[in-house]
Amino acid sequence: MATNLSAMRHVRGFDVVKPLSITVMIVVMLPLILLPLASIFIFGTGKGLASFWAALNAPEAIFALKLSVVTSFWATVFNVIFGLFAAYVLTKYSFWGRNAVIVTISLPTAIPTAVAGFALLLLWGPYGTLGRLLDPKGVHLMFTAYAIILANIFVTFPLAFGVIKPVFDTMSRSLEEASATMGASRWQTFWHVTLPSLRGAIVSGALLTFARAVGEFGSTILVSGNLASRTQTAPLYIFAKFNEGQVEAANAIAIVLALLSFVIFSILFFARDWFDAD
Amino acid sequence: MDIHITPLDFGKAAVTVVGLSKTFGKVTVLENINFHVDEDEIVVLLGASGSGKTTILRIISGLEHPDSGKVILHNRDVTDLPARERGTGVIFQSYALFPKMSVAQNIAYGLKIRRKPRKEIRETIDRLLELVHLEEHRKKYPSQLSGGQQQRVAIARALAYNPEVLLFDEPFGALDAQIRAKLRREIRALLKEIRVPSIFITHDQEEALELGDRVAVLNSGRLEQIATPFEVYNNPETEYVATFLGAANILSGVVDGRRFEAGVVTVELEQESATLKPEPAKLVVRPEDLFLRKPENLTQKYQRLADGTIKEVSFIGAFERVVVKMELPEQPTFVVTRPKTETAAFPLRPGQKVTAGVVRFRILKDKKTRNEPKKSAVA
Repeated sequence: MATNLSAMRHVRGFDVVKPLSITVMIVVMLPLILLPLASIFIFGTGKGLASFWAALNAPEAIFALKLSVVTSFWATVFNVIFGLFAAYVLTKYSFWGRNAVIVTISLPTAIPTAVAGFALLLLWGPYGTLGRLLDPKGVHLMFTAYAIILANIFVTFPLAFGVIKPVFDTMSRSLEEASATMGASRWQTFWHVTLPSLRGAIVSGALLTFARAVGEFGSTILVSGNLASRTQTAPLYIFAKFNEGQVEAANAIAIVLALLSFVIFSILFFARDWFDAD
Repeated sequence: MDIHITPLDFGKAAVTVVGLSKTFGKVTVLENINFHVDEDEIVVLLGASGSGKTTILRIISGLEHPDSGKVILHNRDVTDLPARERGTGVIFQSYALFPKMSVAQNIAYGLKIRRKPRKEIRETIDRLLELVHLEEHRKKYPSQLSGGQQQRVAIARALAYNPEVLLFDEPFGALDAQIRAKLRREIRALLKEIRVPSIFITHDQEEALELGDRVAVLNSGRLEQIATPFEVYNNPETEYVATFLGAANILSGVVDGRRFEAGVVTVELEQESATLKPEPAKLVVRPEDLFLRKPENLTQKYQRLADGTIKEVSFIGAFERVVVKMELPEQPTFVVTRPKTETAAFPLRPGQKVTAGVVRFRILKDKKTRNEPKKSAVA
């Protein structure tokens, strides 16, 4: 009897709202996020792994993937180093216009990528403000891999800075002072004391920047010229193949990019725990 | 301010500061600070927050530059040297241990920076870990240690490179009361064992008296008095020192010859407090030096101060604290502490009439200002 009673109470105390709200949440996410992602994989492998593999092995596809990775890599290297430097300067020194600099660094977040690409064209293009001066010297930045790197730097500019700066802000100033009183130069202090505390933030910032740069489309399509096997990045390849009606070719690269972001995202998820553990 | 510094022999002092002044914007943080710390000596800078004590420490360590004045470490003028070339050992309030380095790595840091041979570094780590009793913690990270252990690592880390002086910035501020008292005894014993000159800063008078060989009392950027704990407590030179270090009952009046007079109160003075002509002065009596008796029972031993009425009697552990409203023109309330033997012999309750008498007291003449030449810091 006693067990029956308690079981009854348990059923009566059952909160219906909990499973209901969880279900609603997932049902909403299903058509918006989960199914589109799933369909890439379902469609891409629908004709067997052999055709998927063939689509992936097309020289143009391999080139596009490589170009995306290489250009994103250099944009990441630049933005992490600059972000670190800017965060250090902006934390350590206060000067007139400091906030204006912070806003400017963060500005690219709010600028549409197509606008960013267009702006780069206006500056560096053959008839652009600076491009005009370089053109006679035979230096052409636009419609090359350098243009893609420039575009990637522009659109991912605030990301690494945005991750690193808050860590600087919370870092105790007395650590650096302690290091100085112990005889360390500024550089030694930065290298031995400041940098180790930033490892997690640097890795996160780099991954975030890289993930964002690999997928960049809006600015790249304007500045690269979208020339197959020359300036065509992976997202541009997907777009081009889709326009040509070669859906399988587009799909194969889409799968690779999606998997890449899964991997990066998973690392990002654990990066702080791995690198910032004491 | 015009300070003439003639070439001086700073003698055996480990630290000498001469005429330190500093302003931040319009705020004067330090004004003509002079003192020295001898080899093996512990000096405590005592003051309320904003008294400038932290600034003094930061100037000595080179983290702050004075507007004027000099810092001399072992006969070397370091005023214009950056922090890293001074070789001071600072123990920060938060300890500032490097979080990504183990205990051993923290201790090794100063030696690594000085490019000492590996063997020497290892031996130093072993020796210091033993000294601060942290042998079994050498591979741990600061976050795995208690506050007291972190502090010992901070001390070992500073000792590793044989610092000119150890500078402690409110080292017990982050700890609770019981641990504070235990740790400061341990640290004093340790410092006496290793014989490294040290400067502590604190706002806790009990801590200052217990830790210091000498205590320097700071008030709004000025050095009020520097002397042994016994001297600053029993013979305060200013009213601020008298009231900051422990409670004090103060009565304003006039010294004339060998008498202190305040209204109906007359107290006979020692010859050394006597004056040739009348001078305004203050009578300072510690709560434990004020005695309450029945009016008819005040013996010859005591000098009668005035009558009063008991306002409040409270039990505070080892002592009883009594508040008395004195029958004097401004009706001041005096505080008296009485030991157990006395509370048993003569119980008091509020409303009771008593007579207050004194044996030991201090006379502060009003003209005694801070600008009066003190015993020279370098004497």
